[in-house]
Amino acid sequence: MTKDKLPSEQVKVDYEYDTLTNDRLLKDHEYDGIRELDNAPPSWFNMLFIGTIVFAVLYLYILWMFQPAGLVQAKEYQNELAKAKTTASAEPGTRAIRMVLLNDEESMQNGQKVFNSVCAVCHLADGGGLVGPNLTDKYWVHGNSVKDLFTVITEGVIEKGMIPYRDQLSHQQRLEVSGYILNNLVGSEPANPKEPEGELIE
Amino acid sequence: MEIQKFTYDNKISRLFLNATIFWGIVAVLVGLLIAIELVFPKLTNGISFLSFGRLRPLHTNAAIFAFVGNAIFTGVYYSIPRLLKTPLYSQLLGKINFWGWQLIIVAAALTIPFGYTVGKEYAELEWPIDIAVTIIWIVFGLNLIMTTLKRRVKHIYVAIWFYIATFVTVAVLHVVNSINIPITFLKSYPVYAGVQDALVQWWYGHNAVAFFLTTPFLGLMYYFVPKAANRPVYSYRLSIIHFWSLIFLYIWAGPHHLLYSALPDWVQALGVVFSVMLIAPSWGGMVNGLLTLRGAWDKVRQDPVLKMFVVAITAYGMATFEGPLLSLKTVNAISHFTDWTIAHVHIGALGWNGMLTFGMIYWLMPRLYKTPLWSIKMANAHFWLATTGMLFFAVPLYFGGITQSLMWKQFTEEGFLKYPNFMETVVQIIPMYALRIFGGVLYVTGIILLIINVIKTAYAGNYVRFEEDEAPALPSKLTPEPGHRGLEARPVMFTIVALIVILIGGIVQFMPMFMIKTNVPTIEAVMPYTPLELHGRDIYVREGCYNCHSQLVRPFRSEVERYGDYSKAGETVYDHPFQFGSKRTGPDLARAGVAGSSVNKPNSWHLTHFEEPQKLIPQSIMPPYPWLLENVLDISTTAKKIRALQYLGHPYPDGFDEIANEDLMKQAAQIAGELRSGGFEIDDNREVIALIAYIQRLGYDISKPADQISVND
Repeated sequence: MTKDKLPSEQVKVDYEYDTLTNDRLLKDHEYDGIRELDNAPPSWFNMLFIGTIVFAVLYLYILWMFQPAGLVQAKEYQNELAKAKTTASAEPGTRAIRMVLLNDEESMQNGQKVFNSVCAVCHLADGGGLVGPNLTDKYWVHGNSVKDLFTVITEGVIEKGMIPYRDQLSHQQRLEVSGYILNNLVGSEPANPKEPEGELIE
Repeated sequence: MEIQKFTYDNKISRLFLNATIFWGIVAVLVGLLIAIELVFPKLTNGISFLSFGRLRPLHTNAAIFAFVGNAIFTGVYYSIPRLLKTPLYSQLLGKINFWGWQLIIVAAALTIPFGYTVGKEYAELEWPIDIAVTIIWIVFGLNLIMTTLKRRVKHIYVAIWFYIATFVTVAVLHVVNSINIPITFLKSYPVYAGVQDALVQWWYGHNAVAFFLTTPFLGLMYYFVPKAANRPVYSYRLSIIHFWSLIFLYIWAGPHHLLYSALPDWVQALGVVFSVMLIAPSWGGMVNGLLTLRGAWDKVRQDPVLKMFVVAITAYGMATFEGPLLSLKTVNAISHFTDWTIAHVHIGALGWNGMLTFGMIYWLMPRLYKTPLWSIKMANAHFWLATTGMLFFAVPLYFGGITQSLMWKQFTEEGFLKYPNFMETVVQIIPMYALRIFGGVLYVTGIILLIINVIKTAYAGNYVRFEEDEAPALPSKLTPEPGHRGLEARPVMFTIVALIVILIGGIVQFMPMFMIKTNVPTIEAVMPYTPLELHGRDIYVREGCYNCHSQLVRPFRSEVERYGDYSKAGETVYDHPFQFGSKRTGPDLARAGVAGSSVNKPNSWHLTHFEEPQKLIPQSIMPPYPWLLENVLDISTTAKKIRALQYLGHPYPDGFDEIANEDLMKQAAQIAGELRSGGFEIDDNREVIALIAYIQRLGYDISKPADQISVND
């Protein structure tokens, strides 16, 4: 700081200087040998501080006056939903679906992936059942057609604790996983099969 | 002027130094264990007191209050007599401070792992220990203030400003946040509920970071850095500016822990702007620390003490830049609930607190034992282990946190969540958890080197208990000075001014939240918990479920899609304590009781899952809780709990406390009976039944049909 430089000899007597940096030391500022320099805070520090205060005042003022969506979370959420609706390519239920039993390899792979990550949590990965019913035997609580399975997956069985997957799995995924169950799991031999539930459907 | 002779007694400081090292290694080893548990969840299978939820609070408490706490006392008791040119006011109070603090830590270690907890982060200690903390803290403050009154220098140095601010603020924070209603000797309920409890808790939690991990360490920095570098402090004026602005602004910033929560927008906005304004005051401290080293950089290259100080101050600068960044809503929307937060706090804890403490210890040892440090080489090795350990800890977690958050938010083109199964997002970051363990091992190894070095140094030298010094007496009447210099000559006035400055932010945020009803709109459908659910909730708290599961759905499409409707303030009015959580290692549970929510599961699922999560989800990193199926629920406290909640205004009918257990047994019999008829063997009286009842209640009240729900603004 140039203004801190001292012009007259006479004043100099009153000050000491740090020998390494030539900065002015404060008189009477000595604590257990620790001295303090009379430097001003760096100017970037002042700018940063003033800048953040201006930001804060503007931020609060804008919230107070305009209640913009970026600062009011309920509005921000509504905006996000509105945007999502327009970008979603397919509204569930607007397309007619054909209930066919898929059995091509790609569908079965996709079906297995969905089964393992979603269904296995209750029916176990081998379909033997634990919390949910055994899916490998010939006993069915809600029927065994593609449409039956599709409906159970879509609507869930709320009273038994199975949730609807309408909002989590696409139509295609629900068809694929139904196919995977009917083609690959039914008739297989799980490690610890659960007791049969429902009625026998051959 | 008369020159007076006096002696410094190093005893208290040395005791605290030993305790710092001891609790330091305990804290990091517990941290290491729980880091390993996240990768090997069945490691401590069936041992309740070693489960993640029980040990994580022990780790945080040990790191903050045991390791850092003892380090603070070490440095404060060493520096204040020297800075004030007087012996400590009272050695006895110092001793009480030391043994009291150690007893508190032991009490914490004997209660937290056994499930005695209030359930609020970093404020887990139960009420008798809270009272002990208050007493010991006052003993410390009294000793500090009284020593300043006996001083032989006219002004108090900036380090002491920070010590004083630490004392008054921690006292206020601790007392206000710990007002609990005792139920039994080791169980209590906070008087605040839900969103209000959350506001008080994060005012406390955030400022525990500020006034326990930051201000006292800035005080230590102002003493030990200039001493070790033998250089003058860069700028006295900067000290004044950053001290007052730091303590004033910090208090306001707590709500940044609750962005996108059910807290009103105006409180959240205060949290954002005050956090942003904190950059400059924080960096003021960093600048004053680093620029004090001007002219000493050649020494920094050789001296492990200075090297550690430089990394400590740099880590402080990084963490205090990151803090405001994380407080911006757009960043917070990504970072919150992820491991990004864990990485952030460890830059502060391992870097700023750890390195400054280690540097201080390496500086003190030769002075306490009048001998050079046993091995400079070993101290340098410690420096490198700690620095690389910190990076190996933090970098994977930054990466993992951001990765997981983006996976939570990702939608497919058809508008479905890309990763509807939470587990998929966990599996993705387990390698990062493994790398973090490696970072932790490096850091622990460094501390082991420190222990060897300290012991060897102590044996090589002779402990210097007393040191002589002399200074002119302070005239009984001081000439008054204008401005800040005048205040520095009046420590009691300084303490009072600091207290007023730190009270403002809290008062402005609390008063409207507690006095004005519209800030917490109630919902008529929301009813108090049944006695069984209440016990279940206490088990949820006891097991530390909040350490991994949040109960706060934020108003984002991705979260509403994944969990259910976003959380409202009125839902939480019967929650003592609130259980929003701050980390989602597992999925959010706020909607676990809403039929049809993707987190809603049948009772039989929960039973099987508590017994062994891996039975249902093979990759799950949740530990098994077999003891919940074995322990018999203690219903002897039901009446007391109901009465305490009635006192807090819960609308249980009069006399309900007497019949609460009948209600409880009826509900338990229904749940257990249904499980048994489904083929699951479980008795009515097991703890797990209560916990299942509680989980099935989460979010249930507001999931009733819309015409039954009315919000009272």
